[in-house]
Amino acid sequence: MAALFAAALNLGAAEIRTWTDLQGRQVVASFVRLEGGDIVLQTKDGAQYKFALTKLSAEDQKIAQSSAAAAPAAEAAPSFLANATVAQAAAKVDQLVAGGLIKANPDRVKGGKAPITKFNPPASDEQFVRRVYLDIAGRIPNHDEVAAFLKAGGSDKRAKLIDQLLDSDGYKTHLFNYLAEMLRVKDNFEQDNVRGTPYIGWLKEQVAKNRPWNEMVYEMITATGKMWDKKPDGTYNGAAGYLLRDAGMPLDNLANTLTVFLGTDVACAQCHDHPFADWTQKQFYEMAAFFGATTTRLGGKDFANGDRGKELMDQIEKMIASNPELDIRRLRNGLQNYIGANRTAIKDRAVNNLKLPHDYKYKDGKPGDAVEPKFVTWSAQDKNNPAYKAAKKEKGEEKLRESFAIWMTHPANPRFAMAIANRMWKRAFGVGVIDPVTSLDNVDDASNPELLKHLANEMVRVKFDLKQFMRIVYNTRAYQSEATTENIAMGEKYYFQGPMLRRMSAEQAWDSYMTLVLGQPDQFKAPLQDLYAKSIDLNLDTVDPQTVLIKYDAYRKIQQKENELMGGGLDMAGEDMMMAGGARKASTSTKKTEPADDSAQGKFITYEGMRLLRSAELPQPAPGGHFLTDFGQSPRNLIDGSTKIGNVPQVLMMMNGKAQKMLTSPDSLIFRSMEKVRDPSAKVETIFLSVMSRKPTVNEKDIAKRALAQGEDGYANMIWALINTREFMFIQ
Amino acid sequence: MKSELLKLNDANRRQFLLNAAKTTLGVSVLSGLGAKMAAAEAVSKSGPGTPGFGKAKRVIYLWMGGGMTHIDTFDPKTGETKGFKDAAKAKGDNIGYLGGYLPKLADVADKLAIIRSMSSKTGVHESGTYIMKTGYEPRGTIVHPAMGSWASHFLGRIKDKTLPDSVVVNSGSAYPGSGFFPPAMSPIPISNPETGLQNIAPTASDNQFKKRIDLMNEFDTGFRKKFQSEDVKAYTEFYDETLKLMKSEDLKAFDLSMESTDTREKYGRNNFGQGCLLARRLVENGVRFVEVQMGGWDMHNTIDNAMTTNGNTLDTGFSALITDLEAKGLLDSTLIVLGSEFGRTPDVNENDGRDHYPLAYSTVFAGAGVKGGYAYGSTDKDGRRPADKQTSPQDFLATVGHAMGLPVDEVVMSPSNRPFTVADKGVPVVDLFA
Repeated sequence: MAALFAAALNLGAAEIRTWTDLQGRQVVASFVRLEGGDIVLQTKDGAQYKFALTKLSAEDQKIAQSSAAAAPAAEAAPSFLANATVAQAAAKVDQLVAGGLIKANPDRVKGGKAPITKFNPPASDEQFVRRVYLDIAGRIPNHDEVAAFLKAGGSDKRAKLIDQLLDSDGYKTHLFNYLAEMLRVKDNFEQDNVRGTPYIGWLKEQVAKNRPWNEMVYEMITATGKMWDKKPDGTYNGAAGYLLRDAGMPLDNLANTLTVFLGTDVACAQCHDHPFADWTQKQFYEMAAFFGATTTRLGGKDFANGDRGKELMDQIEKMIASNPELDIRRLRNGLQNYIGANRTAIKDRAVNNLKLPHDYKYKDGKPGDAVEPKFVTWSAQDKNNPAYKAAKKEKGEEKLRESFAIWMTHPANPRFAMAIANRMWKRAFGVGVIDPVTSLDNVDDASNPELLKHLANEMVRVKFDLKQFMRIVYNTRAYQSEATTENIAMGEKYYFQGPMLRRMSAEQAWDSYMTLVLGQPDQFKAPLQDLYAKSIDLNLDTVDPQTVLIKYDAYRKIQQKENELMGGGLDMAGEDMMMAGGARKASTSTKKTEPADDSAQGKFITYEGMRLLRSAELPQPAPGGHFLTDFGQSPRNLIDGSTKIGNVPQVLMMMNGKAQKMLTSPDSLIFRSMEKVRDPSAKVETIFLSVMSRKPTVNEKDIAKRALAQGEDGYANMIWALINTREFMFIQ
Repeated sequence: MKSELLKLNDANRRQFLLNAAKTTLGVSVLSGLGAKMAAAEAVSKSGPGTPGFGKAKRVIYLWMGGGMTHIDTFDPKTGETKGFKDAAKAKGDNIGYLGGYLPKLADVADKLAIIRSMSSKTGVHESGTYIMKTGYEPRGTIVHPAMGSWASHFLGRIKDKTLPDSVVVNSGSAYPGSGFFPPAMSPIPISNPETGLQNIAPTASDNQFKKRIDLMNEFDTGFRKKFQSEDVKAYTEFYDETLKLMKSEDLKAFDLSMESTDTREKYGRNNFGQGCLLARRLVENGVRFVEVQMGGWDMHNTIDNAMTTNGNTLDTGFSALITDLEAKGLLDSTLIVLGSEFGRTPDVNENDGRDHYPLAYSTVFAGAGVKGGYAYGSTDKDGRRPADKQTSPQDFLATVGHAMGLPVDEVVMSPSNRPFTVADKGVPVVDLFA
């Protein structure tokens, strides 16, 4: 009780009022619920307190009882304010983390580790600015960004920076990278000429719009048609890419769906009963039955007038035969594949074809038996769960996927909100509250089950707004602590006294290099992203042979156009380039566009064949031999398939590669930033702020002085040395 | 139960045992046990003391990317599917002929054993490649290891060498690499045999490079002291290992300029030929598994032109590799295998090409105790279906595993606790070995 009154804060939201106890002490808090003879109140910092109702003044006891009567559902409602501020929500999270820390101690002591009594010390501004740029914008801050933050005053400067970064382009690319890795997003699908470009574009749009997670997933599961179909609002039907990514492999696709979105470890059950968990193969097939009427490749019956592919080819061959310069033998295959790509589309048919597999070996069914769609449950109570009831409203084979999507993305689904909340938490702390994040079957395996449940509730409360959820996480004291310095063994439970020390992802490393070279790397975007969709799309019901040939020609020229746009050297990077951009705008407004300016539109910079663009703007995944590949970018075959482990080619690249050469060349942006100051010690500070996001220590200044005394390569040597430190590569 | 068992013929008995194992032992131990029984019943036995077991101390896998036409190379036909060129008489006992595009290989055919009865289920490049390298069908939920990584798992990392256990030549990517084994068991990719290991040359003088390293260590002292993380230590070890490699004598293994012009010409001045030469240098220096990739086999159009170039490249590089390894005394302990994701249609299509065809194709073995001049299995008269001794991609890789002395029926659990074996229960073709 004393703690409650000590924690009293000023009046905030409408339902917050001043409560008085029998001794006349007061607290400003909101009513949460009555529990037996106790009352639960929540203060503005999000903390909840429970004490005997009889301790309150008679008047306040009445108010409490009427509040409880007015909100009969309060018992079942999530235990937090419906409209908590970010600070309140963050404080509630911290409270749960702190509770978990203390509970962890018996286990820690058994494992020979010292007990934890509190969070790690608060991170310094220098540590914070680097970490938060890397975590939110996916890159290190540039020189000016670090300097500005270190200089800024005000107790809310961290919260302000978090807000600013969450609204930046960097946030979008970084979240895209995360989702692309999770969803195994690729440029080249397995079928000839079918590319994931519209899917990639769609995913980027959703992230840019901060579309709620449940809506995004719903659309991915239920999309129909081709990826490059144009929707009434002018955008492409890229969500279809989710199912088409695994066209022809519906069972693999489902195993991934369940793993990614629900964290059920059911992939094993695709081939046999799960050896360790309770899932059976039958259950897997019952879930698969929701996709049993869905095809990912159209056949003759799926078109209004049958498949016109052959008829079109016959007409095209006649046209080509009349031109002596063309050789049909060299064109036929390409044309057939080009037309064929337009059969890659999703359609729900009237018959559910899902059967038990030919080697089915359990007693509850025979090979080849039809399977009725049925949702899995995690506990006996799930039968009364609204997610299951809501899904029943959709009837008919054509509505099976809708039914599945309603159930899966429902706020009350026992795992959907939890899975994404746990993943988002891991993005900030380096490990999930339950880890691996793909296995949430047993919530009690979490290092802090109360925290996990609370995060899931928070995800529902913010209505699956990932940005808002991350805002809360980044504002916690736990996150803003120093990174943990002790070694955490693989599989050891972690309690979030601060973030774990993490190696940069491949994308963070490359994008940080881009920041060092370009200053503001988000200003350069991959050009011509909708050329593919425009040129591949044929309406096979109506298209005529001439149009096929014209579009096929355009399709084949995409690469050529892209190559034309490559250009610009290192010296164009940074402010100079921004100025050029400014000048370009000015000249278009005077309507007298210089041809040179015109060709500069959409251009990006290259260095020895490397496109200097952020990783999200490069091919997905990057081609073999690229910096990103060597650094462990996911090949996009498996969920979360990246690695953060070193290897020889990677270290060779860090030491001797092109990207390294680029940073130490006199044309690089760091050198040009150094030109602005004269004094060698100021130059050293510039290098430290640019590369390490901090000022050099006294000792480091001495080391630098010695290094510079050894000749004119001193600066390049320093840049090289700093980029190769573990400190550069690890996020603390 | 015993008498019941005696009444069954071999095939049924195997099935019976498998079923019994399934019902009594549950699923998680099934795959291993089943495979052991299957292997025990099979005509071909693997294991210590069986022909060829463990004879291959090193393997060079020649990968024909795109789907190598079997009829124009190692399984020529004379009838309606013959194609555009007459076959070449092959040296040795029962191979008969090779495709007319491979005259040099025909001359060393007494060193080759060809499996002509390969058959697979997938005509898609990506999954066909995956199966022929891992023995498993691709799954969206796990990556299986390639053969070099299986070898590292069972035989251990090669000691006293700074060189990697396995290398992939002519590729920027090691995929599928070590699969579910640790990344350290992954092959190192070499994009171009002429340039060797990427980024191996320092971008600064020796003196300056040393200064940089020292400076790096000085600046990083505080951080490394503060963070006691194993990940940080592992990185520092990788830097040490890499610096050692940069200075290592072993690096010469990657340097083709140390070969005479004659030798280099003999292999053919193209990426495949020089890749074969690099492979020879690597196995000479103790690398255990080298894959050399060659593309250009997806011959949907005008196959006669395509074969004239590609056939010559393969013919020159492969035959040079055999004679060179033999001259160096390494052929007895080095296995060369050649594989591709599938064959090509027996019927020439309307574009004078051939299309994807998994139902029948060929793989080739040489060295490491392989019978010379030997054809195992055959296809029907037009090369449409295996006529006898049908062999799966799993059997093919199990044969490679057998030659390397790997326990092909031993079950290995992945970190996600799923059971796997070398080549997914394939049965080694022990008959290939003398």
